[in-house]
Amino acid sequence: MILNDEQRMLRDTIADFLSKEAPIEALRALRDGESDLAWKPSLWSGLCELGAPAAASPEAEGGLGFGQVGMGALMLETGRTLCASPLLSSAIHAQAVIRHCASAEQIERRLPGLMSGDIVASVAMQEGSQFHTVPRSTRRDGNNLTGDKSLIMDAGAADYLLVSALGPADQLCIAVVSRSAPGVTIQSQRLMDGRQYGSVTLRNVEAEEWLEGDALDQGFTRALDEATIMLSCEMLGASRELLERTVAYLKEREQFGVKIGTFQALQHRLATAYCELELAAASVFNALLAMDRGEPVLSEHASEAKALVGDILQLLSNEAVQMHGGMGVTDEMDIGLFLKRSRTCNQLFGNSAFHRDRFATLRGF
Amino acid sequence: MSDTDPFRQETRAWLEAHCPVSQRQPIVREEQIWAGSRSTFPSEDARRWFEAMRDKGWTAPTWPTEYGGGGLSSDEARILEQEMARLQCRPPLYDMGLWMLGPALLTYGTPDQKTRHIPRIVRGEVRWAQGYSEPGAGSDLASLSTRAIDKGDHFVVSGTKIWTTRADVADWIFCLVRTDPDASKREGISFLLIDMASEGVSTRPIPLISGESEFCQTFFDEVQVPRENLVGELHGGWEVAKELLKHERKLMATMEAITEKVDVGLVDLAKSRLELSAAGEIADGDLRSRIATHLMHADALHHLNETIYRGMKAGQLDPALPLTLKYIGTTEQQRKDELMLEILGTDGLAMTGTDSLEQERMVRNWAYNKAHTIAGGTSEIQLNIIARRGLGLPE
Repeated sequence: MILNDEQRMLRDTIADFLSKEAPIEALRALRDGESDLAWKPSLWSGLCELGAPAAASPEAEGGLGFGQVGMGALMLETGRTLCASPLLSSAIHAQAVIRHCASAEQIERRLPGLMSGDIVASVAMQEGSQFHTVPRSTRRDGNNLTGDKSLIMDAGAADYLLVSALGPADQLCIAVVSRSAPGVTIQSQRLMDGRQYGSVTLRNVEAEEWLEGDALDQGFTRALDEATIMLSCEMLGASRELLERTVAYLKEREQFGVKIGTFQALQHRLATAYCELELAAASVFNALLAMDRGEPVLSEHASEAKALVGDILQLLSNEAVQMHGGMGVTDEMDIGLFLKRSRTCNQLFGNSAFHRDRFATLRGF
Repeated sequence: MSDTDPFRQETRAWLEAHCPVSQRQPIVREEQIWAGSRSTFPSEDARRWFEAMRDKGWTAPTWPTEYGGGGLSSDEARILEQEMARLQCRPPLYDMGLWMLGPALLTYGTPDQKTRHIPRIVRGEVRWAQGYSEPGAGSDLASLSTRAIDKGDHFVVSGTKIWTTRADVADWIFCLVRTDPDASKREGISFLLIDMASEGVSTRPIPLISGESEFCQTFFDEVQVPRENLVGELHGGWEVAKELLKHERKLMATMEAITEKVDVGLVDLAKSRLELSAAGEIADGDLRSRIATHLMHADALHHLNETIYRGMKAGQLDPALPLTLKYIGTTEQQRKDELMLEILGTDGLAMTGTDSLEQERMVRNWAYNKAHTIAGGTSEIQLNIIARRGLGLPE
């Protein structure tokens, strides 16, 4: 990623903050702790004080004006330390859904809370175990909705949910649903990456309101693409961290009287992984530039970035475990945490196979 | 650099006025314009296009004007490149001298060598061949054994070079030769320019799996080479060679762009030949997914080139990045060739005698491009370099 001076400053500030507030031990504490916290409160308030949830937006809109490249650089850093926070769920995805799917009046009412981080929201779109974009059986009936949603990031801690549903003419509808509304049951679960996700059951739940933007379909797709690109940045950060940690280990670990990094079999595996990583990185960077250029449709960029970075993260997480040998399968080593985070990241917003299929469809074959 | 940049405007107008329509098609190997006294133009349009570019110095856009080059800055050269790509202009000249020897001569050549050789390269008058590999020195290039004995005002060269591209029609060859057999491998090597018309030089074309014979073996039997043809220091040839290799690797990575346009109908080919679903999608989901992966990689490679350029301009270039280009570019080209062959099915098994030249060309390229992961430093050598210089893994 090529950053300007301001973006570099943002990246360094965030990296510095994360190393103090959200080192990997913070994720371990969250995972192993008694509480069912979705994130460490001081971490989130600190990120909000730094303005992270509004880093990308122009200053005229109350943001910090670092652009999407700046936000991407920030997300990359969170991937390096496996930082658990509602940045992706709320500051990026929910914010984008409000921005692109809500009416002007709704935006004015809902966006400031999400940008300051005082309010946390999460998007509920998936039903069942496979990712998809169009709601399946969640239905709108008047002002109420009924359905079952899964894999909602930070669902148990969110102030409200943005729930996709099908209207009477099978059109896309998006409800704002309060967590405490009658008929809402949230089942929270810590997944393998140590973070909180929820499944929600909605039984004739009265929506707080329905998003009233003009082109909901395009808006919802746009929001998904933006979030997918930002998740790809996080995954890129995790991939870089895995490669660097593995290279460092190969330079230090000795067997047969030599550093194992002298073995060509290992060198070539890491060198090919590095090439693939740089291809993915170039694709992710291009997607961020396309966002900053204001390209109207991001889907091809988003699918290319997510598929490529998904493939390399899968590969590098496996290679990292293997090359760390016996230590790689111990919980004491952080490598295993990256392995498990990689698997949830790969599923979030669709895995590589999903995005290859989507890319092929978009390219007309 | 915006669309309104005056140099861009000027360049665009000039190219539109001077590039014949027939020279704005994706290039195929048969229509490349090669330098040299024995070369002929594939068409009258090709000749006009070449001459227009030559007279502008744009066969070598960044070389100094005093040697006939275009004297463009790197920014201007990039604009020219972009505008040529926009119009799909074909490269106006193909020559190893242009790609490899010229840049090295500009760095290491004497004023006399520059004056004698560079303008003729720019004007495409001389076809250069590269004399590096030997039957016993491939990846381990520094173990080469072609001998040059120092006789004061000249050298006497004996030995053999292999994989010398079109040495049978080349006018000159640049060679690595051993001048000090007692020094360590890399320190006894010198860089010599040899006139192919010299007495004692002979060539033998090598038939390849593609059915072509682009590569030759070249033999030197007590060939006399004037001392003025020594480039760089005596025994200092390895330095010069390293400089050239850099250019060669860059070239191999962009070979795809030079030989064929990226997308030449992989998708169209598949859609016209394979079973489609009701939605018009390739029904074979596995093949469809592999085509998608290839297109994503090709796209990302383009972005990687952009990233490297931007990084260089911003002074933020990770020096390891350019090391990846040759490996990625040539590997991806082969992936594409294999996809083409797979799509052609049993039709792709015929290399000659079909009624489709286009199809035969695809099959020939599939075989020919196997050389790309070998020539100019094999993929394995590239990975060694990436691992050691890029990732810092120990030797």
